Amino acid sequence: MHFYQDPQFGNRMLTLMAAFVLVLQIAMVGQRWLITNIRIFAAQSFLLAGIANTIAYFNHAPHLYIAAFLTLALKAVLLPFLLERMVKKIDIGQEIAPLINVPLSLLISGGLTTVGYVVAQSFHRPAEAASPASLGHNTLAVAISLFLIGFYMMISRRKAFMQVLALLCLENGLFLAAISLTYGMPLIVELGVFFDLLVAVMVLGILVYRIQETFDSMDVSRLSRLRG
Amino acid sequence: MSNLVVPALIQLLLFLLIAPLVTGILRTMKARLQTRRGPAIWQPYRDLHKLLRKGMVIPDTASWLFSATPYVVFLTAAMVALMIPMVVTVAPLSLFGGVLAVVYLLALGRFFMALGGLDAGTPFGGLGSSREMTISAIAEPAMMLAIFTVAVSANSTNLTEMAKFAVSQNWRFLAPSQILAFGALFIVLIAETGRIPVDNPATHLELTMIHEAMILEYSGPYLALIEWGTSLKQLVLMTLLVNTFFPFGLSPGWTAPGVAIGLGFYLIKLLLLCCFIVLVETTNAKMRLFRVPDLLAVAFILGALALISTFFF
Repeated sequence: MHFYQDPQFGNRMLTLMAAFVLVLQIAMVGQRWLITNIRIFAAQSFLLAGIANTIAYFNHAPHLYIAAFLTLALKAVLLPFLLERMVKKIDIGQEIAPLINVPLSLLISGGLTTVGYVVAQSFHRPAEAASPASLGHNTLAVAISLFLIGFYMMISRRKAFMQVLALLCLENGLFLAAISLTYGMPLIVELGVFFDLLVAVMVLGILVYRIQETFDSMDVSRLSRLRG
Repeated sequence: MSNLVVPALIQLLLFLLIAPLVTGILRTMKARLQTRRGPAIWQPYRDLHKLLRKGMVIPDTASWLFSATPYVVFLTAAMVALMIPMVVTVAPLSLFGGVLAVVYLLALGRFFMALGGLDAGTPFGGLGSSREMTISAIAEPAMMLAIFTVAVSANSTNLTEMAKFAVSQNWRFLAPSQILAFGALFIVLIAETGRIPVDNPATHLELTMIHEAMILEYSGPYLALIEWGTSLKQLVLMTLLVNTFFPFGLSPGWTAPGVAIGLGFYLIKLLLLCCFIVLVETTNAKMRLFRVPDLLAVAFILGALALISTFFF
């Protein structure tokens, strides 16, 4: 048996990749340049595809390979490409004034991560040895944290664009939760979610562009003012 | 008694000799990466030699603190150098609290340096001291969290125990908690040794300088002691980083072949870390002073996540 067939090794790699996914998410909270944020998102999706791939390999679940490939193609390549083009078109590089300053945001996301870990603890069975079937169960905490931090980003950012990105991160968290608890959703659901997301981002892209055109700003707080 | 004194002497000597060399290598590599020729890597030795022969100018306003500072800075760094495992897992000197003593001895040196900067009575000294204390106050929690992460998994704050545990575990550095703690400690290392993006070590002509502002009034042998102590402290932190997270080649005991192999591995690890630091220094611009807390907040969060994940993963 080679070392890469050892479930223990798979477990190590999974937790490692999951930890990096979490770090990238927190980096996104601390980062204000839009282009950098998009690239962080791409890297995060790439790692997510890696996680799906590892679980597929150890559990012999071929349909997860397809999910992994779709994640790679759509979330790590196509969506970042579309979003970057959008940023260039809108021509706004940086979020000027976040609602909450960066150190506090980082602390809050650290707190949310703790919440994620505490919630996930009831699902965690350290007594079970690392077997192919239980692989990735400990990434549930990361998935919940991604979800919570995604929500937090949506609330705390003013720019409509960042909210689109936050939605995508939230979806990444959902995907991670699905593959960490089960072997992913059925393929047809997975496909549905992916195309749903793709369409959603395109529609949101147009929406963000319209907001920018109409109000000369992407600040969503302007939307509360009625204009005849 | 002699089996305690000889290792201590060897380790102290190695530290004292390698410390200026590391500074020199960092400077030269940075210069080469920026397509400058740069000074020879022996330049820090020459500087120390030159400074030790020169006379001193001491400000009229200075009190005894001004002359005590260089000794305190140098001696705390030298003492810490004896307390961490360098080429052998067994540290020659072990004080109360192990790694906590290390952290706070370094803090004592920094405290005196800040006092010395204030004591000279120039506005620049005060500026540098206040900035240094601000940064170290934010860097310290991050450092403690990262260190506790390692200590929790080793079940001890004693550095010898920690090193022994690290050696006994294969592939431990792949664990998420270790990598996060490494990230946190690396940022702290950058901040504590005054490197870009926190401070610029190459100049004392900048308004935003931190370390250089504090030692602006020092000259001659005192300056030599401070420079040597600072490079010693830098080497101590780098050693702590490479040996706790990548304990390859640490020899279990003080035997001649063990020390030779350990030293070889140690130098290779140091060189790799130097490359990494130089890369970070060259690719980043210096931050505005008010941005530095953001960076250190990142270190703090990384440390906190590392500590959390030791309990959950």
